[in-house]
Amino acid sequence: MNYNLKITPEGTKDYLFKECTAVNYVSKKIEKVFINHQFHQVITPGLEFYDLFSSESSGISQESMFKTSDNSNRIVVVRPDSTLPISRMVSTRLQNEVFPVRLFYNQPVYRNNPGLTGRPNEILQLGVELIGSVGKRADIEVVTTAVESLAAVSDDFRLEIGHSMVFNALSDELDATQSQKELIKTYIENKNISALNDCLDKLEQNQTVSAIRKLPSLFGGEEVFSKAEEFIKSPKALEAIDYLKLLYQMLLTLNLGDKLSLDLGLVQRNEYYSGIVFSGYILGYGDAVLSGGRYDKIFDNTDMPMGAAGFAININHIAEKARYKSRSNIPEVLVFAKSDDSIMQAVEYTYKLVKEGIKAQFSDLSDEKEAREFAKKLGIKKIEVI
Amino acid sequence: MKPLRIALTKGRLEKKTIELFEELGYNCDEVHNKGRKLIMTVGDGEFEVVLAKAADVITYVEHGVCDLGVVGKDTILENGSSFYELLDLGFGKCRFALAGKKNVDFYHGYGSKTVATKYPNVTRKFFESKNMDVQVIKIEGSVELAPLVGLSDGIVDIVETGSTLKANHLEVKEYVTDISARLIANTASLKLRKKEIEELVSKMEAVTLNDNNSNS
Repeated sequence: MNYNLKITPEGTKDYLFKECTAVNYVSKKIEKVFINHQFHQVITPGLEFYDLFSSESSGISQESMFKTSDNSNRIVVVRPDSTLPISRMVSTRLQNEVFPVRLFYNQPVYRNNPGLTGRPNEILQLGVELIGSVGKRADIEVVTTAVESLAAVSDDFRLEIGHSMVFNALSDELDATQSQKELIKTYIENKNISALNDCLDKLEQNQTVSAIRKLPSLFGGEEVFSKAEEFIKSPKALEAIDYLKLLYQMLLTLNLGDKLSLDLGLVQRNEYYSGIVFSGYILGYGDAVLSGGRYDKIFDNTDMPMGAAGFAININHIAEKARYKSRSNIPEVLVFAKSDDSIMQAVEYTYKLVKEGIKAQFSDLSDEKEAREFAKKLGIKKIEVI
Repeated sequence: MKPLRIALTKGRLEKKTIELFEELGYNCDEVHNKGRKLIMTVGDGEFEVVLAKAADVITYVEHGVCDLGVVGKDTILENGSSFYELLDLGFGKCRFALAGKKNVDFYHGYGSKTVATKYPNVTRKFFESKNMDVQVIKIEGSVELAPLVGLSDGIVDIVETGSTLKANHLEVKEYVTDISARLIANTASLKLRKKEIEELVSKMEAVTLNDNNSNS
């Protein structure tokens, strides 16, 4: 017996009935926000060349990609991310477009996670890319779209913003080897304060070192700015902090209250992001559901260097929660044709009911007793015999 | 307000953490009289404590079903990935070490070495950092046996006093890293419940610093 015929690969699942409804409900709500902001949908292939993601700055490890090969034996991967494919598409196919362009996508991405951890390998993802513009207007547009998207699907969420140049500027000024810097970045990312201190203790103590020491604790509300200015003296880092402050104050006018927070220690995928970075959390889920930022650098190696910012939302978990709220999908009326001669009449009658807004279903069973039994089992309250 | 849920590594780390909670003035009676209970209240309901095996503490925290966890650095090095490591609690101290037969140079010769361990990831990383290719064999029980019966050239394991090594004519060749208990936090929890978590962390920090100073 081949048991593979009976199960799905780890990290994937079938979506049935209410689960489907919930996935569609959540994605339609988010899509509506995107469309209202004049983003236009694109679809990229499910397979891409491995080369597109192979550089270290893609932030996607080789181990986490599903790979196969094409008919010329070149390595292709099952789409692990949508942003890099869209940057490829824009820089090759939209060269004559009027920029900036606003694009959105609603397509799963695939990651080969370590086994038995309960993480999905098929991640249902929606996101936007605002390509061809830089500066605070573009950043505000992307962040407010992110806030609205989260608000559309969750009552209790947090959006946390940071700036990749805070760490990058300090790291550039730090007198340490590349591998030490790598370690320091990992420690800040994991808020591993004891290891960070051990590592920094080995370096010559100066202002940069003490500023980096403070980075993991510089998160929270507005008070972060005054704390940061106390410890951080690097002009480049301060410039980023000032910019963040400006953005934060602009966003406060949206009455987000405690939904907005700051983290100057956000350093995830730092070779990839070149400006603001942000993550979204919803209550009751242990990981970020939204992540994004400014990534001008990914266009550096293309024919059209330009600014870009965007974000992606993973909806697997949001949809799971929405499932319990979604409406029942049991029909209200079952229409049964009592003889072969009345089939078309019954079909038309069903159509009429549906047009009136009643959930009606034409019975495809030919025996009335069977049809009644079916209605009873499913919980259909009314059966009409035509 | 929902209590902060903390996963503790069963055994010695659990005992030490509960002592720490009591030192901070939280009522831990329910943990002492736990019976068959799996989730216990600590303090006046500010905290909920669950007990788990070391690697499971990380799993519970990573998934966010527990906000915080107390787990040894050994487990973090072997299994860890996405969570915040907030505090070195200072207890449960020991070391990872490479050990081998007494008076035999582990690094001698060109032949590739075989190392037995309960911690294959830690072992692989250690030798990668030395640019050495070694065969790693995972052992579930007493690793000290492996070099004695000729399965491996050495072992990588936790060493506390070194008495087990000594009794089996083995010795530490090199220390890999220091280990102690750590307080870890789920990434989302730290963001969503920052105030409560930071309050607890700073209280714990004050006590552990004191303890360390008085010990030395």
